[in-house]
Amino acid sequence: MSTFGALNTAYRGLTAAQQGMNVAGQNIANAATEGYTRQRVDQSSLAAPARGLFSGGALQAGQGVSVNAISRLGSSFLDAGVRSAGAQAGYASVRSSALQGIEGILQEPGDSGISNALHGFWSAWQGAANQPTESGPKGLLLNAANSVTGKISSAYQALDSQWSSVRGEAQGAVTAVNAAAAQVASYNTTIRSTLAAGGSANELIDARAKLTDQIAGLAGGTVREQPDGTVDVLVGGNALVTGGSVRTLQLAGATSLADAASDAPRVEWANPGGTAALDGGGLAGALSVLAPADKGGAIAQAAESYNTFAKELAKVVNDVHRTGQTSTGATNVNFFTTGAGPAALNISGPASIDNIALKASTGGALDTSIADKISQLGTGPNSPDKVWSGIVTNIGVQSRGAQQHESLTNAAQASALTGRASQASVSLDEESVSLLTNQHAYQAAARVMTAVDEALDVLINRTGLVGR
Amino acid sequence: MLNRVTNLTMTANAQRTLQTQQSRLSELQEKATTLNKITRPSDDPAATAKALETRSLLAATEQYGRNIDDGNTWLTAADSALEQATNVMHRIQDLTVLAGNGSLNQSGKDAIALELEALNKDLVSIANSKHLGRNIFAGSSDAAAAFSSAAPPVFQGVDGSQVERRISATQTVRVDADGRGIFGSDTASVFHTVGEMARTLRAGGDITSQLAPLETSFKNIVNGRAEIGTRQAQLERAGDVNTELEATLDAQRTGIEKADLGSVIMDLKLQETNYQVALAATARVLQPTLMDFLR
Repeated sequence: MSTFGALNTAYRGLTAAQQGMNVAGQNIANAATEGYTRQRVDQSSLAAPARGLFSGGALQAGQGVSVNAISRLGSSFLDAGVRSAGAQAGYASVRSSALQGIEGILQEPGDSGISNALHGFWSAWQGAANQPTESGPKGLLLNAANSVTGKISSAYQALDSQWSSVRGEAQGAVTAVNAAAAQVASYNTTIRSTLAAGGSANELIDARAKLTDQIAGLAGGTVREQPDGTVDVLVGGNALVTGGSVRTLQLAGATSLADAASDAPRVEWANPGGTAALDGGGLAGALSVLAPADKGGAIAQAAESYNTFAKELAKVVNDVHRTGQTSTGATNVNFFTTGAGPAALNISGPASIDNIALKASTGGALDTSIADKISQLGTGPNSPDKVWSGIVTNIGVQSRGAQQHESLTNAAQASALTGRASQASVSLDEESVSLLTNQHAYQAAARVMTAVDEALDVLINRTGLVGR
Repeated sequence: MLNRVTNLTMTANAQRTLQTQQSRLSELQEKATTLNKITRPSDDPAATAKALETRSLLAATEQYGRNIDDGNTWLTAADSALEQATNVMHRIQDLTVLAGNGSLNQSGKDAIALELEALNKDLVSIANSKHLGRNIFAGSSDAAAAFSSAAPPVFQGVDGSQVERRISATQTVRVDADGRGIFGSDTASVFHTVGEMARTLRAGGDITSQLAPLETSFKNIVNGRAEIGTRQAQLERAGDVNTELEATLDAQRTGIEKADLGSVIMDLKLQETNYQVALAATARVLQPTLMDFLR
């Protein structure tokens, strides 16, 4: 080893300690940064130089330390766990909130729901039967009928607008997935060139991981890592991102609830075309809610059950009402009209009290047997009340199931996130210790340098001065 | 892999725990303020179905209560009309006894005939009495009066049609009275009998042969009134049953929809304590780091 070899060794120690303090500083600074993965200085000791021809018999110490890399302590296995849990949680969360929305529209049990309006409607028939000569109770009956039909149609409209808003959310999710995919592709190129140049791309990789998490939560993508540092993102087995190139998704299909049955909303590839199958995520959740009724779409099914209810109500009341006679003597008159299109949207009661038949066609002018018969329609085993109660219970059960699924997937997601954070997050205690170690190493290396310096000083300046 | 604990995992954990505790607290607070066990169907789908059913029964029962009240006013009106009719018939019977006295001279008979005619008019007007603008004795007919102004008056109501009030899901009660059955019609009516008596007396004849039909008419009126009384009693019983049912259903509904105050308050208090404990523990765990001990 040369005379100044020890100085060089001390210098290497100084730089390594400084690097260690820098990385500890970076870790501490990012202790609260979302998506940050802790880093470590990857260092190794340098071996002694190989023995040469003239190096003599003296043993030599190593040449100090070398800083190889600054490594990122992430785990791709845990990252994959977070992504798959995120995809399931995203799916369950969208479904649960949509079903809770449907449930909110019911307003049951309570005073403003359809069941209450129905009770009022049946009672109003008896009220009208008690005073067939008066127009007041008939007006009340008209009012009660309008209250029922108004509630049915406004609930149907609320479902319609909920469908549109979920579709809007799905559109937003598709846009977000495309934007995230484009960013992943551009990160891929930067990371590839940074790594090729021998630089450290840890922070870029963190940022990219955040984007792939986001894609997984929305569309359930899987991520495949490549040797050159880039990642491929696959959605439903097809590549969304490959290195620096990206394919775009688009939302196709109906834009309103009315068209959903014939043209279900779906996600497609833009270039080249084709249906994209999703593995989960919020987008898949939204599509499952938007699907037509026969494919299990929750909103369409609810709308369909409102239609069934409206038709059933109109049918049972009209069947009895047609056998009666109105005050103007007309017979075979329908009470409810459902019109063309969705029955729930178009159901309406009679326009005036003259179209109400209280009396049977036989019997006196003030007979009220038809009114009494209709007032009793609410109690039978297949009565509209029972049909409605069945609809409410069914939606309640579905919503409950979706909420339970949501809390389950949320727990799984929380556990996956904790697992990853436990591996990747910064521990301030650890960093403090690392800071201390490096600080001491730095001080000690400086002391080594001073010692060598003093030794050399003695050698150079004091040697050979005996007797001067 | 051993679970590595860092400041971030601890903070995230603490946040999650506090969030869970807080959401439970707010749930219980809502329950305690509204006392509603079910605010939406998914809270308990089975109980929701039961609540809807109970509400529907309750609404029907309330309407039956109103029907019973309304029916009562009808029956009371019919009863008081028939009471008047009975009084009139008593007077007519008194007069027939008086007229049967052989020593009565023609002017006395004329006076009795005059009074009989007046009483007959009373009877017709009683038979035409109305309740809230409707004929009590004409069934479901909308005729201006139950009996025509012809002599003898003819029944104008619709036979076999009844005014009924629904008092339960399975039961209706007739609240009017059968005009033809009680007063008869045309030549078979009490009006005809009394009119004929007056005519016979005026002609100086004997009315003994008309006593039997008069007696029958009187019986009809009394029977009619008895029937009204029976139905009034029936309505009264139905009213009692209905009120009781309403109370039962209301209690049932409260049981299904409303939470028990005591247990909710207990739960709330417990949850408050839980939350405070979580807060205190979190504050203790999150504060110290190695920094506090390095000099």
